[in-house]
Amino acid sequence: MTKTPYVLIVEDDEWLAEQYERTLSQAGIRSEMVPHALAAIDAVDAKLPDALVLDLLLTGPNAFALLHELHSHADLASIPVILCTASADQLADEDVKAYGVHQILDKTTMTPGDLVAAIKKVLP
Amino acid sequence: MASETGGLLSFDGSLPFLVTASHELKAPLALIRQLSLALGSELSDAERERIVSQITLTSERALRLTTDLSRSTRLEDSLFDLEPLNPRQICEEAVHELAPLYKARGREIRVASGHRPILAVANRDLLRRIVLNFGDNALHYTDGSAPVEFRVNTYGGDSVRLGVRDYGPAVPIDVWQRLSSQLGSGAQALHARPQSSGLGLYIAGQFARAMNGRIGATRHRDGATFYVDVMASKQLSLL
Repeated sequence: MTKTPYVLIVEDDEWLAEQYERTLSQAGIRSEMVPHALAAIDAVDAKLPDALVLDLLLTGPNAFALLHELHSHADLASIPVILCTASADQLADEDVKAYGVHQILDKTTMTPGDLVAAIKKVLP
Repeated sequence: MASETGGLLSFDGSLPFLVTASHELKAPLALIRQLSLALGSELSDAERERIVSQITLTSERALRLTTDLSRSTRLEDSLFDLEPLNPRQICEEAVHELAPLYKARGREIRVASGHRPILAVANRDLLRRIVLNFGDNALHYTDGSAPVEFRVNTYGGDSVRLGVRDYGPAVPIDVWQRLSSQLGSGAQALHARPQSSGLGLYIAGQFARAMNGRIGATRHRDGATFYVDVMASKQLSLL
């Protein structure tokens, strides 16, 4: 039996997170959303996601703090990350590759199809 | 301190004004765009209605910021009438305006009960915009465990304080110190509260100064209070 992919969405704008969840659901991908990095750690502890959709500027610890935390655990360091940010023009792929970020999506130009494609690319 | 360079306002030690302004407007515009794209997918009538409402409320929030921005650039050219007014009524008007946005986000906003407040001497429009700004800001950092509250108090005998208390994640002390030093003097985004409008707070500070008032903030273990102090009316003492 094929395992249903599971994606964790870390986004502090709940309406945007809902939109990601709706988009992934329409593509047959199950997801859950959490609003900040601390809740993300709890969610990852509870169930290991196949991929992470991550906002850059979060309430409290930002995305890099979360990525540092994930990378300090061998079993979590390999979770593929899709970074969704409105500051994509200020980031280079090379800057974030070491953190397991597979793709940066620009919130100001991305389409629902871009998110699905990015996730499908990293799913096992 | 603000300075003017080549026709573009900038603020000492912060990003150029237009860069900050455009960055802060990106978030609501990006959300509106994503929600609009969602309307092109298969949705139930209820979902469609909900998304349209989200688009409307998000665009209204963005418009509040743009209106404040244009108003702030005209501050030095204008004289603002100051009048004795009921600060509680200003808070009630702000709550009335923000309530649909709060409700749509599953949050609650209210004016705390209290004594009949002393009148404030302020410009109605500027004071209303300041508390609306604080209310907008608080929305994103309250976890829904308690309503965001507008509070009115007499402060220091000759001032009236209008505060907005939110219940969100605590701001780390180093970030708080940076925020405190920036309040009213810079337009940088607050990275531990990324959706809190550093620009909005700057504008609120400008509006407060135009009324001989000031803005400030108090850090709590479970959130923050942003406030504006304006002069208290002396008219009762003349009777």
